[in-house]
Amino acid sequence: MSLAAEAFVSQIAAAEPWPENATLYQPLKEDQILLSDSASSLAVQTFLRMCGLPVLVSCRANAEYMSPSGKVPFIHVGNQVVSELGPIVQFTKAKGHSLSDGLDDVQRAEMKAYMELVNNMLLTAELYIQWCDDHTATEISRPRYSSPYSWPLNHILAYQKQWEVRRKMNAIGWSGKSLEQVYEDVSQCCQALSQRLGTQPYFFSKQPTELDALVFGHLFTILTTQLTNDELAEKVKSYTNLLSFCHRIEQTYFKEHERESQSGSSRHSKGSLP
Amino acid sequence: MLSGGRANAVHAHTNMAEPMELLCWGGDWDLPSVHTDSLIVLAYAKFSGAKLAVKSIDWTWRTITASVPQLHWEGSTVTEPAQILNFLRKQRFNADYELTAKQGADTMAYIALLEEKLRPALLHTFWVDAENYVNLTRPWFTSHSPFPLNFFVPGRQASLALSRILLTKAESPLLNITEVEGKIYSEAKECLNLLSHRLGNFHFFFGDTPTSLDAFVFGHIAPLIKAPLPSGQLQKHLNQLENLCQFCNTILKNYFTDAAAEKRMDCSLTATHDPVDANLQKLTQLVNKESNLIEKMDDNLRSSPQHRPHRHETKPSALASERNSPLLSKH
Repeated sequence: MSLAAEAFVSQIAAAEPWPENATLYQPLKEDQILLSDSASSLAVQTFLRMCGLPVLVSCRANAEYMSPSGKVPFIHVGNQVVSELGPIVQFTKAKGHSLSDGLDDVQRAEMKAYMELVNNMLLTAELYIQWCDDHTATEISRPRYSSPYSWPLNHILAYQKQWEVRRKMNAIGWSGKSLEQVYEDVSQCCQALSQRLGTQPYFFSKQPTELDALVFGHLFTILTTQLTNDELAEKVKSYTNLLSFCHRIEQTYFKEHERESQSGSSRHSKGSLP
Repeated sequence: MLSGGRANAVHAHTNMAEPMELLCWGGDWDLPSVHTDSLIVLAYAKFSGAKLAVKSIDWTWRTITASVPQLHWEGSTVTEPAQILNFLRKQRFNADYELTAKQGADTMAYIALLEEKLRPALLHTFWVDAENYVNLTRPWFTSHSPFPLNFFVPGRQASLALSRILLTKAESPLLNITEVEGKIYSEAKECLNLLSHRLGNFHFFFGDTPTSLDAFVFGHIAPLIKAPLPSGQLQKHLNQLENLCQFCNTILKNYFTDAAAEKRMDCSLTATHDPVDANLQKLTQLVNKESNLIEKMDDNLRSSPQHRPHRHETKPSALASERNSPLLSKH
């Protein structure tokens, strides 16, 4: 969308309040969704819960194709469709709900920088492990990604997606990395996050922000998803303050909802943290 | 692994068998190199006190075979700025030893911010924007590559840049580069604003000594400030952020003027092939030093808060004073 169109959309967005039937679309939870998409989806869900905005989670096999930008998750609010955490944060801000209003300029700069760090390192590492590591790609990613489709479409789509991701890795220079180097990068990223968090409850002391939602989404998904080996989860587990951070957010925002609403629609695929 | 104690990490390891050799692109527009990654490594080497033998790959076949920057030492080769910085740190050339753990984490975060938000726009400004590419980038790289590589090198770099931008920033409906342009430039301007806020009134990002984050920021913004771009909306935006321009000029003046002055001196000496009088050589050196001092004093006066002249006036006079000093050194 061009800048003028975006400004127009946010003006329209500001006019209406948040409706009750806002929906979030993601791929099928049990069979199809992969680690990186699950992480992004959980980050958006956490952010919306932190803002106190209700949203229904709907799983569709073709969520990726429905999305305006090709990326999941996306939300359908009123008559607008917005995808990915960045634009969703701006959209909710236009509606008057924001988590980062209390931050000054320097803190906002830091928050954006750390969000980019998570996107740059963690998300890219997740994509690499899923699609560029042959073992994982064959055992997990390709079968899961193409599960809703029948032969021969499933093969074609899976290989197409793999080729796309590998091209992207090539362009940013990650294709030369070995799996150990990627795990090392993840470890360094977690170390940076752990040092920034310190002993505080959230990254910017008392109030959670979109950075907390994003970090929780990625770390929780890494910790609770079964891959071919547990090395990625082990890297994250070695930082205890990150573990307790995840526990805390899960308790605050997800367990309470579970007790209130009896439906298990927003439970994560592999259960809660060990 | 030589992780190096924090106390003595800054002192250079002077008893090395051979100096470390760095391959990088050559310099122009008052910069030691026009290539962002090479600038990052050069700046970090200066900050940490590492002595590097800098070899420029201009006019050699390495323009197409080597991935620049490349560090050679005792048989091992390291590429990529992040890896080279790690390697230098292991060799006890550490500019970050005074940083706290949190500042180290901040460094990583800001470097990620630069890579994600600023680099696509830089690539676009230099390699994809038609006016800049045809008038500045392509002629420069063509003239600095040997025949017949001068036909291939710029085109290859340009297509790599374009594919990188499209693959990382363009989502499937936006396969056209023009639609992505608006987005990447607005993100880059936001990134520059964020950096400016973070820098504030300090000399460097973490106090008074430069660190690896300063090297990364310098490497990214110095070409943007110094290159004479025909169409540079990002450059105009950056010029409005005075503290970033000051930051860049400070680093150039304090860490790179000696190299630039030596280069100018070398050029002036080799131009006269006949045996030069020893006295004449000494006189040339004295005149160079004088002109450097005058430049520094000028800059100090100009940057003092009481006498802050209008922005437009300083630019032409700064250019004029810089043009005068090469003329002086030639005599």
